[in-house]
Amino acid sequence: MARPSWSRAWQLLGAARRGSSYGTGDSLGPGVSPPEPEKRPSSLTSALGAGSRQVPSKNVESFASMLRRSPLVQMGPAKDKIVLGQIFHIVEDDLYIDFGGKFHCVCKRPEVDGEKYQKGSRVRLRLVDLELTSRFLGGKTDTTLLEADAVLLGLLESREIRQKE
Amino acid sequence: RCLGSLGKAAPSTSQLSSRLYGTLLAPEANQQVDPTVINDKLITEPLRHPDFFNVKELFSLKELFDARVHLGHKKGCRHGFMEPYIFGCRLDQDIIDLDQTMKHLQLALNFTAHVAYRKGIILFISRNRQFGHLVEVTARDCGEYAHTRYWQGGLLTNAHIQYGTGIRLPDLLIFISTLNNVFEPHVAIRDAAKMNIPTVGVVDTNCNPSIITYPIPGNDDSPLAVELYCRLFKMTITRAKNKRKQMEVLYGLQNKADSS
Repeated sequence: MARPSWSRAWQLLGAARRGSSYGTGDSLGPGVSPPEPEKRPSSLTSALGAGSRQVPSKNVESFASMLRRSPLVQMGPAKDKIVLGQIFHIVEDDLYIDFGGKFHCVCKRPEVDGEKYQKGSRVRLRLVDLELTSRFLGGKTDTTLLEADAVLLGLLESREIRQKE
Repeated sequence: RCLGSLGKAAPSTSQLSSRLYGTLLAPEANQQVDPTVINDKLITEPLRHPDFFNVKELFSLKELFDARVHLGHKKGCRHGFMEPYIFGCRLDQDIIDLDQTMKHLQLALNFTAHVAYRKGIILFISRNRQFGHLVEVTARDCGEYAHTRYWQGGLLTNAHIQYGTGIRLPDLLIFISTLNNVFEPHVAIRDAAKMNIPTVGVVDTNCNPSIITYPIPGNDDSPLAVELYCRLFKMTITRAKNKRKQMEVLYGLQNKADSS
């Protein structure tokens, strides 16, 4: 049974850690102006007891903190990361798979268990690149293929029958 | 910023009919010249409020974030003029600042609502083949128009020769994607600017936002994001049209009560 003074110390420590992480989260952008003060999470103000700022009725998260906590940012570099995707379109042997990034990836239907890959199946992918772009000779900007690149590892292991739609 | 003043100032509809025709026909039924009090109040009442149609409640930061609106292209694809709207660059991928997007989206939706309230013609344009059908369905559902095919050169600038005299041009162009299939700015942006037709457009990090009247910095490649934009535009336009019907009934009844 935790003593009340110790649990209170935990709360303050947690809030302080959140505060410091929020401070570094702001420095993501290159010298862009930080979001307005009223966008700060209300838990921070209530824990620190700052009466001057208005505590919003709902816990409104700022864009910077949402971005910091998003899976895309937490994942880091996309190379060789394992992600789950869902097939949303099929053209004969090509599977168009959406894994939560800006673009989808296109993979060839594998020979093993080929019939099980239908619209809505969940699959495992190993990412190579989030967007296929390259600067060609004489080009002012990169040319983009509007596609991501990934290697299809297989269907979701536990239950292939568990499909959306 | 001039963007803010554009949003607040009234789009002058007294020139609405006159600027659409080249030379020609006397403009028909200028509602503003109509001396009755109803029409005057009907038109000027929404202009007194900064957010008459309450478009702010239609979207939230979380909704934009979940629809992946903040994801941009790679750093090498970036257009120089998009730099003010970019939050930062993470592992070579640009991230669009959603705080700015919220402001721009609110201005753009407010303007669309005002145009729809005044019975303006809205044209949706997108040359992105992945979402062509979705844009056409959206336009049909809100009773407006869409053009998602090859844009012939003189559609706007040569209209009264190609389509005959007395043609009415759209009062607002909404670009779901401002680029065409070869990654160049859509011809309609330049043509609309020539014909004094305001434009609303979703600009991604590789687009040029300069000539667009109400740019909305955001992702235009993910299906979730495009579905969100289509939903938002559809809701604003239907809301504005319903509001118009309501106001007509309201002022019609008032006038009847005053006269009797």
